[in-house]
Amino acid sequence: MGETDSRRSQLLRGVLDICLLAVMREGPAYGYEMTKRLRARGLSTVGEGSIYPLLGRLERDGLVETRRAASNGGPPRKYYSLSPAGERALEAGRREWQMARDAVDGALDLVKAEVRP
Amino acid sequence: MNEFVEECRREWRRLGVADPIANEMAADLTADIEEAESEGGSAEDVVGNSAFDPQRFAGQWAIARGVTAPPTISSPPRRWPALAFGLIGCTALLALGVAVLAGGRQSSAAIASVSRNLGGPKSVHVFPGSPVVLQHFQHFPGAVIVALLLLVVGVVGVGLAALYVAPWNGARIGPWEIRRHRPRSGDPRA
Repeated sequence: MGETDSRRSQLLRGVLDICLLAVMREGPAYGYEMTKRLRARGLSTVGEGSIYPLLGRLERDGLVETRRAASNGGPPRKYYSLSPAGERALEAGRREWQMARDAVDGALDLVKAEVRP
Repeated sequence: MNEFVEECRREWRRLGVADPIANEMAADLTADIEEAESEGGSAEDVVGNSAFDPQRFAGQWAIARGVTAPPTISSPPRRWPALAFGLIGCTALLALGVAVLAGGRQSSAAIASVSRNLGGPKSVHVFPGSPVVLQHFQHFPGAVIVALLLLVVGVVGVGLAALYVAPWNGARIGPWEIRRHRPRSGDPRA
């Protein structure tokens, strides 16, 4: 894995829980479905690991609710959806990300570059 | 069932994950992998590089869900067996020593006379290197048995006490007890 991929992977690891909560907002989804939703947004979550342990932690922390339901004629799947606590965690995570992103942008001088004529 | 999922199941079993929870996780994983395969993908598309390390993946997932067996329960150290065995052993050895000394003094005259009559002291070498004990006790046959019993009880008692307090006895709950752990019976969230 190249240095760029490694940094990208580490960055994603820090915000993957927020990203998962965000894609759940679109509607309940099972594990692989969430992987595909993230991939459709350019986030390859499965490079170094997988989302299952993270989903397990979110479930244990009460940030997601689960239910079993059939999926398009396939076997019953475990669907994850946001709990009220998960909604709050998502909003808090979004604010944290924006603050961190602004700070990094400032450090990298990107803000000035954007306003420069 | 997929080989990757089978490996995961083995790991969950080893970690003490309850069967209903392991079944549920295995079913979810199987369904996701089958879906990926039906789309031309593989397990790697579902679990990434973890596809090459199912034990690690299974362990991380189970720990994240909080469904592994609780840590080994070890009883607090029990001191009384070591104390009891040590006390019994030391008492027996002390009694043996006192008996040897007392028997030696009281019978010294008799031993001397009998020895003279027999042409010198006889040593019964039951214990190599300690003929004195038997020289003293050979005139009291019953006492030899008592002395032997005291010696055996003393050595065994001190030995068991040493086993309890030995530094390599990590459990410190007795040399023949094993540490117990019980798998969690169920996950309330499952």
